[in-house]
Amino acid sequence: MPKWAMVIDLDKCTGCGACSVACKMENNVPIVDPEEAQHGRALFWMDMVTTFEGELPDTQVKHFPKPCFHCDDPPCTVVCPVGATYRNPEGIVAQIYHRCIGCRYCMAACPFTAKYFNWYEPQWLDEAHGIGNPDVSRRMTGVVEKCSFCSHRLQQIKEAADLEGRPIREEEYIPACMESCPADAIVFGDIANRDSRVSRLSRSYRVFRYGEDLGVKPKVYYLARRTGT
Amino acid sequence: MKWFLRLGPVMVLLVVVVFYLSLGANDRVAQPIAYNHKIHIESAGLTCTDCHSSVQSSSAASIPNLEMCSTCHSEQPISESAEELKLIEFVHQGTSIPWQRVYHVPDHVFFSHRRHVVIARLECTTCHGNVDEFTEPVAAQFLPITMDNCMECHRENNVTNDCLSCHR
Amino acid sequence: MEITRRDFLKLFGGISGAVLLGNMDEVISLPDSWVEKAQHGPRIETWHNTICGLCPSGCGLRVRLLDGIPVGVKGNPVYPVNKGGLCPLGLNSLHSLYHPDRIKGPIKRTGAIAEDKWVSISWDEALKTVSDRLIELRNQGAPHQVAFLGHTEGTIMQRLIRRFMDAFGSPNYFQYASSKNDAIPYAFLQGHSTIPAYDILNARLVVSFGSNFLEEGYSPVYYTKLYSHHDEQQTRYVQIESRMSLTAVNADQWIPIRPGTYGALALGLAYILIREELYDIDFVHQRTFGFEDRKDGSGARHVGFKNMVLGNYYPEKVEEITGVPSATILKLGRELGITRPALVMGGQGTLDNTNGTFAAMAVHSLNALLGNFERKGGVFFVDDPPFTKSDLKFQDSVARDGLRQPSIGRPDARTFPFTQFSIDTFAKRILSGTSYPISVLFISGGNPVFESPNSREVAEALKKIPLVVSLDGLLNETSEHAHLVLPDHHFMERWDEVSNVDSVGFTHVGIQHPMVSPMYDTKHCGDTIIELARRIGGSVGQAFAVASYENEVKEAMKGVYQSGRGAIVSEGVGTMWIEYLQQRGWQIGQYASFEEFWDRLVKQGGWWNPIRKKVRMDQMFPTPSGKFEFYSHKLEEKINFLAKGAENGASPQHRERIFNQLHISARGDNVFLPHHEPVPYDVDMPVHLTTFRVLSMRDGQGASLPMMQEMFGHSIHRHWETWVEMHPETAATYHITEGAWVLVQSTVGTLRARAKISQGIMPNVIAIPFGLGHSSMGRYAKGHGANPYAIMKNMYDMLSGKPALQATKVMISRAM
Repeated sequence: MPKWAMVIDLDKCTGCGACSVACKMENNVPIVDPEEAQHGRALFWMDMVTTFEGELPDTQVKHFPKPCFHCDDPPCTVVCPVGATYRNPEGIVAQIYHRCIGCRYCMAACPFTAKYFNWYEPQWLDEAHGIGNPDVSRRMTGVVEKCSFCSHRLQQIKEAADLEGRPIREEEYIPACMESCPADAIVFGDIANRDSRVSRLSRSYRVFRYGEDLGVKPKVYYLARRTGT
Repeated sequence: MKWFLRLGPVMVLLVVVVFYLSLGANDRVAQPIAYNHKIHIESAGLTCTDCHSSVQSSSAASIPNLEMCSTCHSEQPISESAEELKLIEFVHQGTSIPWQRVYHVPDHVFFSHRRHVVIARLECTTCHGNVDEFTEPVAAQFLPITMDNCMECHRENNVTNDCLSCHR
Repeated sequence: MEITRRDFLKLFGGISGAVLLGNMDEVISLPDSWVEKAQHGPRIETWHNTICGLCPSGCGLRVRLLDGIPVGVKGNPVYPVNKGGLCPLGLNSLHSLYHPDRIKGPIKRTGAIAEDKWVSISWDEALKTVSDRLIELRNQGAPHQVAFLGHTEGTIMQRLIRRFMDAFGSPNYFQYASSKNDAIPYAFLQGHSTIPAYDILNARLVVSFGSNFLEEGYSPVYYTKLYSHHDEQQTRYVQIESRMSLTAVNADQWIPIRPGTYGALALGLAYILIREELYDIDFVHQRTFGFEDRKDGSGARHVGFKNMVLGNYYPEKVEEITGVPSATILKLGRELGITRPALVMGGQGTLDNTNGTFAAMAVHSLNALLGNFERKGGVFFVDDPPFTKSDLKFQDSVARDGLRQPSIGRPDARTFPFTQFSIDTFAKRILSGTSYPISVLFISGGNPVFESPNSREVAEALKKIPLVVSLDGLLNETSEHAHLVLPDHHFMERWDEVSNVDSVGFTHVGIQHPMVSPMYDTKHCGDTIIELARRIGGSVGQAFAVASYENEVKEAMKGVYQSGRGAIVSEGVGTMWIEYLQQRGWQIGQYASFEEFWDRLVKQGGWWNPIRKKVRMDQMFPTPSGKFEFYSHKLEEKINFLAKGAENGASPQHRERIFNQLHISARGDNVFLPHHEPVPYDVDMPVHLTTFRVLSMRDGQGASLPMMQEMFGHSIHRHWETWVEMHPETAATYHITEGAWVLVQSTVGTLRARAKISQGIMPNVIAIPFGLGHSSMGRYAKGHGANPYAIMKNMYDMLSGKPALQATKVMISRAM
């Protein structure tokens, strides 16, 4: 059984924001009103977090792309009263929108604020009449949504592989963010396979994970020469 | 506080739920042309994939439309059916036939005909019934598309019932 | 009736009295026939390659279509410019295709400007209105009264417009925002006006003077790809600029510098290199001119670059000018001297000021000191693509007479003597009425009313023109002034070519092809021009033998096919392989015919040739001396010529006058050497105003897209809003707190924006992002944020004609 994980090389990442937009376009993530965006209700499954440290001229501005970390021991799934969010056997922490009742317990439980609530109708998609990515469902008002590691791509890739009776090839399953990263900073793959790029990179001396001390075992690894990025 | 006021929303909920359930998934649908599957299969010797051409190649089986129909029904009617005249009218006008979709897979479900027909080798009849006996157009689902039906079959055949294998 | 869960929730929403409307509606708008197709089609998937048309960077795009309807985009992984990467704007390009405010067909303005009153007319009527007027002008012998204000057209489109104007008889085709003027400083030194490409991949040290190449450069995705290898290549990046841009954030070191002093710092580094003999002595002695002191033919002594720098730019003085500590200068100078290859880049920060030309010359001369030309990890120049030549064969006498008229946008000797076009001259000439009037103006792309420092003048000038025809697909501040709009296709609906993007390190041609039939009643602007030419007839009509713009592109590509060089982009064809085959006289892929080549070219999305023609070192610099000229003969000749033109003989007084006109404060030989010119700031204004562009806006098109508005300022949580960045010290001086409204006041105007207090900017400098503050450009752009260009003083670099975007000083205060 593969276990999907992501490595983001912060030494390569420039913070351009292409991954955020690629993700929004791929997953039909809604765009909120300007006022709502100002209130912090903009949705970014792949967020770009910027931190400012230090003083001129040694100012350190750091960008890091932040998807859902797909924890191996996810705190969000245990609090869900209806089983709408769970960790699947391949390590993807899924959100089943039609099961979600919108209680937002999982949002409170997530230490990384990687989950987003749909406050509003996805009107822009209704009016789009089938434009937008047809492989991803529209979320309705009142459900929580989050990064899925583009699992809709996995569904199709699995089918293609099964058709030829072979296992999935490493380069086949690529989420939208990795696909469009101009700096090739994102690597995705099966971490259970020790020969995969992800697995090799996850053992790099530069590696660290957010929230490692929380014991939630995130599956998004960061690489950085400068520690504490 | 009057107790029945508190009950108000619950009552509304109840009414709506009952209404919703009464609609059900098996509401019969009227089709623009009374298509006869039996004649096409028996007399014309067609098979399912002749018209539902993408069953083996993509997720959608595809409902045939003008282009497909007009290969046989173009200028002169080949039968005495009044329904065929309707079709020829559509062909002449070049407007697509407003077939009503009966088997409607919801937006949040990933369902692939290719996976079920080519990889799992399911017969069409398993879900769609003995279409070759149908003389009336398809108006209702043979096996209603419900999560229970999907999961039961998956259980019986030892196929994964992981949410993410179908939900998206 | 079917009740969905959503209806159910809506019902409850209604009961609880809270109907929530917070998402954007109508992001995507489609014709009804498309809706029908999208809902009932068999969903057959196809992929098409094209080139992104949202900015001139020329990234390859791969578009996913279901039943012929585009539903997704990603980068074209085999296109060498972006290799699969894309910027946020490119990824959002579908929303520009489906923009609800796209112009749906030809329209005529019935109300006042910006009143938004338009009526639809037929193409026939629209073209007839324009062609009748054009014919009339030709009959009156006044074809020169037609002007065409283009933007950043590709080579073939430029050729087409030029051919139309030449056949018609007008010298007035201008590209409003072309990069031609950027090349002027390079031309003074190296002889040819090609913007250099930088091999940052193989350099060990990259020192960038205000070149925000990851965000604002000519092709940010191309440079991001190269930058991403810095770790394995062990390249160190040093970024010198007033505000910590995205490039500075990613650099190993950021050196803050006062705006307008980049040239002084470059010369300060040259001082260290020369003083400590760390420069490339061989290159400088064999391939450069004007380094050492010398005597000319008449025996007059001239100061060389070396002594000029040693005498004037010692670290303490440079510290005083630039605000960069002398210890930092010394350290960086030595680092440049001992690291090989070390590369120096100039860019926006350097060029966008009144002293831009001299500053860029100073920066570029460091490359000469380091001997970087045509070297691995250095600076090089790319060959033009081998397009088929296309010449105008016949002009009638009306056209010949018209072309003899002076060009209206070409500056005279007193202003911008080195440029072919200045928006300042153009607007002033029309307003003053000193030359002939302009009767018909075509505008295609570009938005000078929004983004030029003389926007008010441009707007006034447009009002004086009796027929303004816009070819834009979305109304903007400039096309609001048009009388007629003949809308162009979206780039996914049209044929075009994007070739040799500036500063990209290989010859390339990208092909745009229509992957969808036009959604609305629009017309390719190339075809509009061809159609107009046909209607005019005579020699103008004959100039367009081919039927359509598509054939125009095809015809030009025949030259590329026949050259037998390069390769159509495809998987696994790398530089090494192409070189190997070309050396042996082979071409990648053998094609039976041009048609076969063309089909494959369109399918793959482009052609490229990474192998440059071998240049002999002694032919590399086509200057009068045949060498890299620290002392620019070209500049000297021109100034002497201008001085002579004034009256007989280039007397010192005449030269003096020219210097004053061009705002050159240096005298003697220094004028022709790279040097620092102080910027004439307003003395009573305390704070420097600088601007920058973010990736989601690029040239300002991003503002029309809601997702880009949301990304704008996402890093500091200022979505849909303009902000003012300032150092805590500056903020404290003016009692401004984080997020407070700030009034920014220049001598020209006032702007209101929110404060962002940041350690990433120098004290006494503020930075405002460009892109917002639109009064037009669709519903999502209108009324959000503020436009920093609106408060900029109308100042230019007098040599290159580029707007001086960092030359304005302002007052700031807390808004009540």
